[in-house]
Amino acid sequence: MEQQRISFYDQIANNKRKSWFLMFLIFLVFLLLGYVISKASSAGNFFGIMILSIIVSLSYILISYYNSDKIALASVNAKPANRTEYRRYYNLVEGLTLGSGLPMPKLYVMQNEQINAFATGRNPEHAVICVTTGALQKLDEHELEGVLSHEMSHIGNYDIRFMTLVAVMVGMIAIISEIFLRSLWYKSGDRDSGKGNAIFLLIGIVLAILAPIVVQLVQLAISRKREFTADATAVKITRTPTGLIDALKKLKNDKPMKVNKAMSPLFMSDPARRKLESWLSTHPPLDERIKILEKM
Amino acid sequence: MIPLLWILIGILAIIILVFISYYNKFAILSQRADNSLSQIDVQLKKRADLVPNLIETVKGYAKHEKGIMESVTKARQAMMGAKDLVGRMKAGNVLSNAIGRLFAIAENYPQLKANENFLQLQEELSAIEDKIAYARQYYNDSIMSYNTACVTFPGSFFANLYGKKEKEYLKIPEAQKAVPKVSF
Repeated sequence: MEQQRISFYDQIANNKRKSWFLMFLIFLVFLLLGYVISKASSAGNFFGIMILSIIVSLSYILISYYNSDKIALASVNAKPANRTEYRRYYNLVEGLTLGSGLPMPKLYVMQNEQINAFATGRNPEHAVICVTTGALQKLDEHELEGVLSHEMSHIGNYDIRFMTLVAVMVGMIAIISEIFLRSLWYKSGDRDSGKGNAIFLLIGIVLAILAPIVVQLVQLAISRKREFTADATAVKITRTPTGLIDALKKLKNDKPMKVNKAMSPLFMSDPARRKLESWLSTHPPLDERIKILEKM
Repeated sequence: MIPLLWILIGILAIIILVFISYYNKFAILSQRADNSLSQIDVQLKKRADLVPNLIETVKGYAKHEKGIMESVTKARQAMMGAKDLVGRMKAGNVLSNAIGRLFAIAENYPQLKANENFLQLQEELSAIEDKIAYARQYYNDSIMSYNTACVTFPGSFFANLYGKKEKEYLKIPEAQKAVPKVSF
């Protein structure tokens, strides 16, 4: 049976559309929450609190955004790769920059047995790629090239920036919900609440509890979509999926790796190596990724 | 009458912005193509720079292989003498084939093959080969997006206006992967 071929251009466009749609969904939740809360609370100062919370969460996230690469590299104890020692690594990335038109990222190595890699940095001009020593040892040239082009794709697709944007929205929703729920404690019953107001109050409470959970699930779904996009873009750069497929197959039989939980969405595959896809996973399962790559 | 005036000014501003943005789009796409072409040139030069070093290293272990070393040196000279990029690329292919033959012959000299310097050169040269292939691919990709912008509407209208014409893809055949000749 002839397998249906999918073009990597379609795959990239498709995934980008989906993640923008999910982003839009989060924004809708944000608007809905703001609307219901403003209806529910007659207090005029709530708007002020909302704006303040937005400023706080924005500045917090912006600071971490500008330092994301340093934080990530420090938390896994990565060292800058030396050009004479890691010639193959440098040559492969240099080739990929020529093939993709992206500037040369800074290269780092982290001491770890497991095959894995991650990319970070706020834009292509300030990008960093880090691979484990395990990946450098266990992968052949072709496979390593596949892995590196997956990381270059994350850089080229502005995934770091996009995911930060998503995190800002998710964070704001969480803060607003929190403030709303807390503010209820201080409101005594002497308020002259009309009937419509009471209904909005009820909806507001339910929403304030559910919204943060829902948007976090959407955030994870976006993260999985971006992985598929990066795989497809990687094929666009190398013009062959075989390197990445072989690398992912090797990864499947690799041992799990211990890293900080906050770091795991960054890596090219889930370091904890969970087999099943769930709503809570940051990465799609390896089998699914291999299946799609094999169709390209 | 004043709101109408503002609307007219707004429309005019949008039209001007569209004209500027299309002008810039063509400029950026065309520059990207030119830049990737110069990247090919950079890699060709890097390869040529490594050749004398390679010859020196090989000489130490395989003095008698004069024929092949001469053809590598000649191919390098031809490349350095070429006037334009197309010429350099053609000569570069000849050089690439000659280097490939040289590496095939090196298989017969275990000591040469174990030489650290030789291994390093071999790795660098094969990496350059890959980089040239990548640069070519990106050049053709850039040409594709440039040409698509030229022929699809509304880009085609602006392309006509600004006198932008479709660009040509690279036609020079890619260097063949050197396959060692086996003779019995």
